[in-house]
Amino acid sequence: MELEDIVSKYPPRQIMLIPIAIIAIALISLGVTYLGTGSPVHLGIEFTGGTLVTVPATESEDAVAAEFAGYPLSDIRNVGSRYMLQFGPMSDADYAQLAKQINSKYDNAEIRYMGPIYSQELQAQAIKYLPISFLLMAIVVFLVFREPIVSLLVVISALADILTAAASMNLTGVQLSLGTVAALLMLIGYSVDTDILLSMRVLKRKGTVEEKIIGAMGTGFMMTGTTIAAVFSLIVVSNFLYLIIPSFTRMDVIADMSTVLIFGLAADIFNTWITNAQGLRWYMNRPKKAVRGQRR
Amino acid sequence: MSLASELFKDRRVVLYVAAVALAIIFIGFFGLKFGLDLEGGSYLQLQLQGAVAQVDVSPEEILKVQFNATAVEKHADSYVVTVAGQVPATLPDDLGYSGAKMVERENTTKVTIVASPETVITNYLKKSLDADVKIVGVAPVQYEIRTNVTRDSLNLLLAPVGGRVPQGQDAFVEGVTPDTVDETKKVLDSKLNRLGLQDIKVRIVDNKFILIDLAGMDVATAQDVVGKPGKFEIRIQTEDNQSVHVLYGDAVESVDIPQGDRNGGWGVPFVLSEEGAKIFQKAAIDAGATKNPDAHPISMYLDKDEIFSAPLAAELAGSLEKAPVRNMEARVGAGDAGSQKAKELYIHLREGALPVNVLVVGSGQVSAALGKQFKIQMVIAGIIALLAVAFMIFYRYREPRIVLPMVTTSFSEVVMMLGIWALAGWRLDLASLAGIITVIGTGVDQLVIITDELMRGGETASSTAERSIKERAAAAAEKAGAKVAPASSKVYLNRLSRAFTIILGAAATTAVAMLPLLYMGFGALTGFALIIILGVILGVAIARPAYGRIIGYILAES
Repeated sequence: MELEDIVSKYPPRQIMLIPIAIIAIALISLGVTYLGTGSPVHLGIEFTGGTLVTVPATESEDAVAAEFAGYPLSDIRNVGSRYMLQFGPMSDADYAQLAKQINSKYDNAEIRYMGPIYSQELQAQAIKYLPISFLLMAIVVFLVFREPIVSLLVVISALADILTAAASMNLTGVQLSLGTVAALLMLIGYSVDTDILLSMRVLKRKGTVEEKIIGAMGTGFMMTGTTIAAVFSLIVVSNFLYLIIPSFTRMDVIADMSTVLIFGLAADIFNTWITNAQGLRWYMNRPKKAVRGQRR
Repeated sequence: MSLASELFKDRRVVLYVAAVALAIIFIGFFGLKFGLDLEGGSYLQLQLQGAVAQVDVSPEEILKVQFNATAVEKHADSYVVTVAGQVPATLPDDLGYSGAKMVERENTTKVTIVASPETVITNYLKKSLDADVKIVGVAPVQYEIRTNVTRDSLNLLLAPVGGRVPQGQDAFVEGVTPDTVDETKKVLDSKLNRLGLQDIKVRIVDNKFILIDLAGMDVATAQDVVGKPGKFEIRIQTEDNQSVHVLYGDAVESVDIPQGDRNGGWGVPFVLSEEGAKIFQKAAIDAGATKNPDAHPISMYLDKDEIFSAPLAAELAGSLEKAPVRNMEARVGAGDAGSQKAKELYIHLREGALPVNVLVVGSGQVSAALGKQFKIQMVIAGIIALLAVAFMIFYRYREPRIVLPMVTTSFSEVVMMLGIWALAGWRLDLASLAGIITVIGTGVDQLVIITDELMRGGETASSTAERSIKERAAAAAEKAGAKVAPASSKVYLNRLSRAFTIILGAAATTAVAMLPLLYMGFGALTGFALIIILGVILGVAIARPAYGRIIGYILAES
């Protein structure tokens, strides 16, 4: 298998250029978005405030748009058997009026209103909690290994996963919502699983580093594989099932969440078996030289 | 000895079987409850507006400005305000000083007010903010202002009386005290309970947000019922379209449940306080409502919205001519509409206002039909996930004796989680269901780690480096089948403990990364985080140790 050759035959420093390049691209993508919009990823309606409505699609999009022409309608989309309408900020009175109008016209309407205070609070929470979550994960990793370099490699790999997943959001047009924040937090915890497996195997077993890495790979691929299988079923059900079964609806939260997870998991395969593994190869094969160098 | 009897000697396995059995009993006995987004209904997210502030201001200066006085003297427990000319008889009452004595001498009036300095300040803030103000701290005295104020707006308000908010972070703190939050929650609880609504959930987040879930109600109605609480006031029409204030909600002593009469008409009986009844009588006579009721209807307002208006009934007008009447009834009309109106009026009368001003920061609704559809979609997703995972495992191990325990363990973890949910009475929302599915994915990971450690514990990669993963997996499975696996129990336990070091590390990182989510998004993701954290704990503590044993026996058996 080619990946195994890459992992074991080429010098770590050369291979490490690939993840460094990918992280750089991710950072550039996040940076460009930041310069353009003021935040590294596109903020969804929960973070910007507004009203989200879905109603059964009983008439044409234009007719629905005309129905709500009096309100700040910013977007209308077909999501299976329903239309999703997005409204900009409006006054309390307008909102109450809108809600009444929707309920008198449609039977099964879904409405979500997110006021400016709600979205500001949410932004503040995201900025506060994402780093806390990452920090807690890092602390646990250091406690598990009690080896600074090994732990650092795990944490760096996890960081690369998150950055790649976040950059992939910009690429695929997934906006930051409560669901995607949950997915990013989930990735923080989950992405280190395979890194821990890898590092444990390399530290605790006998044999050459390369052999141990390849040995761990079988288990690691399987782990990521089962998770990808579970997440993939979420993608299918939330995103595509409504195309086959007309009565079903696209589930936005789940769709966004699973998209971020799948990108994160893909990044995790790469970062565990390239970034982290090469880091370990470099570290484990280096100490004797380093010690001698210091003595001189 | 058979496999089953051998296994039942292991306490990990016994614990696991007992836990799963208990979970099934819990689910059967208590049943599963679903969240609003799956059941249908609406939710409101309210922010309690207010601040706790210290104030630097002289009470004398306040009284001087309020009464336009020439001098204010402080006595032991009272203030004497000297005003040039006459003082309107109602002014002290209007400013919140009932029982003030007024003495007119020549061209000056002396008003004696029995009040402490804090009362004067409280009254001033109340009057100028049109909101409740409560003293919540001594030394330094802190005032809880129950409406939307900022440090600047408060300073602006105090400027005319030469006061200000002292410097420092502690002098002005946004938000209200926990007691007040609790009081607001209680009022909301009782208000909604009395409406006869089922399954109402009122929660407090961060001591400043109140979240309300209302099953089976659309958001417009919910907002009408909850989002617009305010001051209750009774007014009476005088001349033309003019009306004057008669009473506030505090004069309403008690309210009875709405009653229908023989003709199908509905009304809400209520009782005024003794003082209130006197004021009401005086107002009715002054306005001429007792003589000509139809020209002088009595109106009730909630937050300046008229909620009721009707003339005095003939017999009530007659009685009021002679004496105050404490027991009255607000009649609203007949039929279902009347019954509905009576219900609403009852709430408004009973709970005139929430203790604090609230702002709706978020709200929404899901229809029951849509919720049901989401539920079905999620169950389908769960089944597909389980099947997909099972397929992956089979693809790797090609061994039903490994695949079956793995999938069973994974499924039993889900059952255990649901059991806890049923026991605790927690609600499963869309996010929790997504959490369950991700737990299936990560849970199986850990079972893979255990299985691989046990099967290939002593094996280094050297002999297999040249072979593909598929080949090695097949070989491993073959070995497992060919009795090579757990050689001796010592080696086996070593491998198991190594597997658990990895698992514990992985589980701990997942759990701690989820911790912040418990608090994020006004509780929207609490279910997701909780189910993942609990799933991880249950898995590591109960299911996976048992799996380790079972798979060990199975591998040794063959």
